[in-house]
Amino acid sequence: MTAHTPAGPHPSLDDPSVRIEDILREGIVEAVPVGRTERQAEFYTLRDGEMLLNMGPQHPSTHGVLRVVLKIDGERVVDIDPVLGYLHRGVEKLCENADYHQTICYMDPLEYISSLFCEWAPVMAFEKLLDVRVPRRAEYIRVIATELNRIASHVLTMGFFALDLGGLTPVLYGFIERDEIMEMLASLTGQKLLFNYMRIGGVNGDLNHDFMSRLGDWMSHAAKQVEANAGLLNENEILVRRARGLGVLDADTCLRMAVTGPNIRASGLPFDVRRSHPYSIFPELDFDIPTRNEGDCLARYLLRVDEVKQSLRIIDQCLHQMPDGPVMAKLPRLVRPRPGRAFAAVEGPRGMYAAYVISDGTDQPFRMRIHDPSFVHLQLVALLTPGNLVADTMAIMASLDPVMGGVDK
Amino acid sequence: MSMAVVTWQRLRPVGRILAVLIPVLVALGLVTVGAVILAGPIAVGFFADNLPLGRFIAATAAIVVLTIPTAFVVIYMELKVIARMNLRIGPDRVGPFGTALSVVHGLKFLSKEDFTPTGVDVQVFTLAPSVVFVGTIMTMIVVPFAPGLFGLDLNVGVLYLFAMSGLTVVGLLMGGWASFNKYSLLGGLRSAAQMVSYEIPLTLSLVGVVLLAGTMSLNHLVLAQSGSFLDWFIWKQPLAFLIFLIAGTAEANRTPFDLTEADSEIVAGFATEYSGMRFGFFFFAEYVNVFVMSALIVTFFLGGWTAPFAWPFAVSISGFDALGLGVGLLIAVPLVPIVGTLILAAPFWLSSKITTLQALVIGFILFNVLAVGLLLGYAFVSLDWVAGLFWFFAKSYAFVFLFIWMRGTLPRVRIDQLMGFAWKWLLPAALINIFVTAAAITLVSK
Amino acid sequence: MDRALRARLERRFGERLAGGVRQRHDETEIRVTAADVADTLRALHDEPELDFRMLADLAGVDTGTHMQVVYHLWSATTGDWLRVVADGLDREAPRAPSVTFLWKGAEWMEREAYDMFGIVFEGNRDLRRIYLPDEFRSFPLRKDFHLPDDASRSPGLGVRPMEETLSPRDATPATNLRRSAGS
Repeated sequence: MTAHTPAGPHPSLDDPSVRIEDILREGIVEAVPVGRTERQAEFYTLRDGEMLLNMGPQHPSTHGVLRVVLKIDGERVVDIDPVLGYLHRGVEKLCENADYHQTICYMDPLEYISSLFCEWAPVMAFEKLLDVRVPRRAEYIRVIATELNRIASHVLTMGFFALDLGGLTPVLYGFIERDEIMEMLASLTGQKLLFNYMRIGGVNGDLNHDFMSRLGDWMSHAAKQVEANAGLLNENEILVRRARGLGVLDADTCLRMAVTGPNIRASGLPFDVRRSHPYSIFPELDFDIPTRNEGDCLARYLLRVDEVKQSLRIIDQCLHQMPDGPVMAKLPRLVRPRPGRAFAAVEGPRGMYAAYVISDGTDQPFRMRIHDPSFVHLQLVALLTPGNLVADTMAIMASLDPVMGGVDK
Repeated sequence: MSMAVVTWQRLRPVGRILAVLIPVLVALGLVTVGAVILAGPIAVGFFADNLPLGRFIAATAAIVVLTIPTAFVVIYMELKVIARMNLRIGPDRVGPFGTALSVVHGLKFLSKEDFTPTGVDVQVFTLAPSVVFVGTIMTMIVVPFAPGLFGLDLNVGVLYLFAMSGLTVVGLLMGGWASFNKYSLLGGLRSAAQMVSYEIPLTLSLVGVVLLAGTMSLNHLVLAQSGSFLDWFIWKQPLAFLIFLIAGTAEANRTPFDLTEADSEIVAGFATEYSGMRFGFFFFAEYVNVFVMSALIVTFFLGGWTAPFAWPFAVSISGFDALGLGVGLLIAVPLVPIVGTLILAAPFWLSSKITTLQALVIGFILFNVLAVGLLLGYAFVSLDWVAGLFWFFAKSYAFVFLFIWMRGTLPRVRIDQLMGFAWKWLLPAALINIFVTAAAITLVSK
Repeated sequence: MDRALRARLERRFGERLAGGVRQRHDETEIRVTAADVADTLRALHDEPELDFRMLADLAGVDTGTHMQVVYHLWSATTGDWLRVVADGLDREAPRAPSVTFLWKGAEWMEREAYDMFGIVFEGNRDLRRIYLPDEFRSFPLRKDFHLPDDASRSPGLGVRPMEETLSPRDATPATNLRRSAGS
């Protein structure tokens, strides 16, 4: 699939000697890629009245550097082609040259909004390869920290959903909660965004007094506060009219598109990795899996509010059941796992975040594969948007909640 | 001559600039003075003969000059109020409480590179911001700010207003089309569709008001509402008020109807390719439009410059004859401020935590505040146009605050929902309003 | 470790599995050839007693001697992850059948495997690069694509060029321009 020079006198827009006035005079309409796939041919063939609009990598609402090429007919979107790769950093290749402990730092910036989950899945995979048993106290701390991260991520998502629809205020109210959680996690891990907290066999440091006191203060009003923030928007006529019935996903489509996380739960299927394939201490914790049946943007938004409440429940239980003990298993500085393969998945705020590690017995992973839910969900944008208006592209994308760091790896 | 050359060479750059500038300024000054002396009497005579024309030119000039400070105030209000609603602080650093921010914005726009992108239709591209701005300013000419303070009292003022709003639509379309950019095109088309759709309920909702007042002149409309606040048309035409408010929000491209500049979708809409002062024109025009819409709401439904209640006490302050004091005036002018400052500073000076200098400064400031307040109060009570201005601006800025409040709170509607709302709900409502009003007037007059 | 799942898989696919069913922790792994993988996955997806309706991951692997495509599946009938390895793809011209007929969401995952390894998925409607520019000529996750810091591991080999960057004069356009009729 290599590019070839097209034969013939067609001028290229990249050629500096070609002037735009000449092209305009000759009446050239659209640029089409060479060596097209079937889908590209279908997309780049324009009928009468259709036009290609590029929501480029720099755009206020594409949740990161995402380029979306829209084929629109007036105001209606006929087709969508997302173009990725603007944030591709080659993380999987870089990890092949790093020690197992060093790869944890590479994993953080993938889904940077909820980076503890990005560390957890690979660390679980490494622990499977090393047959390491994680101390129970470490498991409880992991759960508390990750559930806090989940709440922070959901609150941000809800705010950005409103922002993409034009409401300026809810995102700032959401940031109050996120700010407090970030402060808590900063006192626990030392970082506010890319935590680098999980270690193979445990976590980096034990709970401290600052963290516990902040957590206690925050938990006392958190539920009411999140409810109030969501209440700013739940009943807003304009938001409801725009989001209800938009981008409806049914359960079969979800399974066909390999969708996980709140997106599949908003379509009625109660698939949550914490219940369907339990890991860590989740079998001992008591929490519900909220689902909604409508599968539209509003359901996905409201579901996240429900999930925040469940996360608060989980944190509460963990705080009460916290055992004593070490927070990290004893491991050598350079670990050499057995040659083999391990797959581990966690339930991140956006979906199932998984890591597949192949070890060849040396101190560097042979293959480090990251499965990011946002990558898969971005295909839904191409599926759900055609037929709606340009403004709805943003609403659908915001409700699916992609994070480009994970999409592009 | 050679001496001049040698002197020139010995001058520093600053000196060279001054050496050129000072003679030029002196020459200009002489020319101006000469022109005034020679042509002055002729001009004065001309205007004395055509006083209304002179008045019109002066009023228009005043309006054009005052749109920029209005825009500054509205921009500052918007930034600050939305920030407070967002639990932020807003502009804080430039000037006291950030009030000089708008000036800095204006300077920023002036200092940016003025370019014309490739492929644009240059004349249309250049004219579009001006058309929008001029359209907005021209609506201000008929708005009565106070009894006697208006640009022109057209007897078809309402009609003229909406003709000028239509001009703004043309300007937006020009900007969107000429920009050679798909985003701008989308934005321009959306804005054209939106503004044209909402012009109709806007205009129709005013027909009821015109029927009630029997005149289309804005000045007479305001006079028809004079008395107390119970005479305002908002009580007699509540539906028309609501329709006008909603349609006015759409006309001003404000949230929830701000899809033309929905920056989360089409970057900046029709203004994407504009930069520098060209964008500044669009920017200022939008905020002036917000003020104009508020002013129109106030004029048509809330009594314009009329006070909500007549001043209960009959006040007659005979202007005291300041010149009769003679030398006493010469003594009083420096003495009164000093005495006032000292009196007002005394309580602060007596408090132990404040130094003498600080107390004096506080006293001086308080004296200034008091003096200005007294002066304004006297003007308010004795001059009807001061009172009128005060009430007009208070009411207008209350509605500006309402517009800003809506922007901070509400999300955006979609284009099809917006159009559907205009054609399916507002238009029939406006028509029903007209019929009901006409029927009521006929019945009542019987 | 689900013994019942192992029994079911051996009963259903016994002759196709190279090396039988391997299990460790909570993962069950089967290996099939690239030719069989489409049928195997369809059977795993459709049959009610297997019911592996969720595709968790699709990855490419370069073992140095050959390539593999690794599928991870989840089913409500078992507590294990099922790993299906399509083994034995030729390193120089890797081809595998596409599973987009079962899971449309695999389209981008296969694009990524193509982009990183060069594995051509037959039946994928949109097999083009997803992360890298269209003119990129190498496949980065292959073991013969070396990053500069590999030189620190084997100094004798030195730093090898990854990818020749195209200078603007040589840059071939990835696009063609279509003229409008007549105007």
